[in-house]
Amino acid sequence: MLIKKLIILFFTLNSSILAAQEHHNAVLPEPLMVIPFILLLLMIATGPLFYKHFWEHNYPKIAIILGLITTLYYLLILRDSGSILHTMAEYLSFIALLSSLFVASGGILIRVDAKSTPWVNIGFFIFGAVISNIIGTTGASMLLIRPFIKVNQNRIKPFHIVFFIFIVSNIGGALTPIGDPPLFLGFLRGVPFFWVVQNVWFIWIPTVILLLIIFYFIDKSDLKKTELHKPENNDAVYSGKIEFKGSKNLIYLAVIVISVFIDPAVISWVPSLYPLPFGIREIIMFSVVALSYKTADENILRANEFDFEPIKEVAFLFVGIFATMIPALQLIAHEARILSDQLNAGVFYWATGFLSAFLDNAPTYLNFLSAAMGKYALDVNLQDNVRQFVIEDEVYLQAISVAAVFFGAMTYIGNGPNFMVKSISERSGINMPGFFQYFIKYAVTILLPVFVVVWLIFFFGKG
Amino acid sequence: MKIKEAVAQKASGLYFNNRIILPFHAHFLKMIIDDEIYTDFSISSKHLFVSEEGSFTNIYIKDFKNIKDAVSRYEAVKIVCVEKGEDVFDLKNHLKLALYPEGRHNIKIVFTDEDILLIE
Repeated sequence: MLIKKLIILFFTLNSSILAAQEHHNAVLPEPLMVIPFILLLLMIATGPLFYKHFWEHNYPKIAIILGLITTLYYLLILRDSGSILHTMAEYLSFIALLSSLFVASGGILIRVDAKSTPWVNIGFFIFGAVISNIIGTTGASMLLIRPFIKVNQNRIKPFHIVFFIFIVSNIGGALTPIGDPPLFLGFLRGVPFFWVVQNVWFIWIPTVILLLIIFYFIDKSDLKKTELHKPENNDAVYSGKIEFKGSKNLIYLAVIVISVFIDPAVISWVPSLYPLPFGIREIIMFSVVALSYKTADENILRANEFDFEPIKEVAFLFVGIFATMIPALQLIAHEARILSDQLNAGVFYWATGFLSAFLDNAPTYLNFLSAAMGKYALDVNLQDNVRQFVIEDEVYLQAISVAAVFFGAMTYIGNGPNFMVKSISERSGINMPGFFQYFIKYAVTILLPVFVVVWLIFFFGKG
Repeated sequence: MKIKEAVAQKASGLYFNNRIILPFHAHFLKMIIDDEIYTDFSISSKHLFVSEEGSFTNIYIKDFKNIKDAVSRYEAVKIVCVEKGEDVFDLKNHLKLALYPEGRHNIKIVFTDEDILLIE
């Protein structure tokens, strides 16, 4: 039944849909306009594998050209500048947050002198999962990935990095609106700040524990093999000391976290810069990028091998993803609204999750929130309606919030930090799995069964 | 010149576009530039060409037009290598070097410190 509903949701997009859109009173796009998006996703997946050097030299142009096709279609054919401006604003918020956290945390150096054991790694993951709710999954990933690799340097394998991406770069950040961008968008629309932690912690804890248990057994077995083959590693002496340098960058991180709230939708006296596609918050965040880089300790930047390339890659690829996914999201949102009466929490969980794995999870979250609110004839653009919806029936928002954050770990493109962690790992000499290998070998075999358990326990037959 | 001597004497290497010149000979095991990991130093490698001349070694990196474009200000080309004549199977002989392109053609050669990540 669930599969049937999912099939209805995803594959009944037909060309005759020409109804007015709720948000912008815009005409729906032709389904053919999802082609640039599919093309971009395919190239992101296949480029690094089959035509690496062409891709590395040309991905910025490809992302921008494909994005321009969609943009020009909206501006010239549909005459819908609202969708483009709206997307541009979301993109700027996204990249402002990611780049500021990336640069600010790049000026912090953490040294951990400890032996690589499953328990030490689990400690890293738990700490990372918790702090990703305070400094975002990007900040936590950037702070911890290098000391994590360093501690494990004598026996690091791709699965170590993959679990880092699962727990620190994604699932960890499901408890606060700062943790992951979709929750932040929900917060801006009227979801109370502490609603997430109050309503998701009992899903977050068992999910993280389940992943940690799986990791423990894989890592324990790996440690045994390493000790057999490299007995010399056992003789090393460790002090267990943790050293922290670049504490002034903690101030920058604090400024970023505080600036998250500097939005006219949250604080009434904050001026809106409309019709500009950015606000005071984005100006603060981009200023932090410049300031934290200019004032950073050169020795720390050198020790961190700081490079703008990972954030540049995210910035270009996501400019293409944000632009080209507009038609796909609008068509899906339209279908979801039409079918909202037939959709239960499980369908929202899988649909939000599936799309969050391959699209950006922030707009996916908003579209499914809009569809779920449609069940109660409520409007996602009205804060009072969102608050009423939260009280009305929390299971839908739980399903959408959890799926949007958790499923971001399913692919490298599911969440911004995934790419950054992959890039830093490769620069350290670790052969990371390609797009398909990551998806099939790790995401489908490890994450998907965990997400099925989450669905069975918390969302099956609900709503 | 031996690798350890070159580092101790702060001998510089050189780079000209995609050519790196190192003032020593070595058994090369691994090289990392940007996010590229090279382990094939054979004559049939599509990515690298290594040749020894007199007292120095040339490494041509075919994937890049210019080394300077591939590594940022705070990054290095990283190499794992062994002194010529030493036991390549003894991991203690594996030397980890960081090569920092400086100025127009110079390369600063240092052993990687505890912070530079270089996984063998």
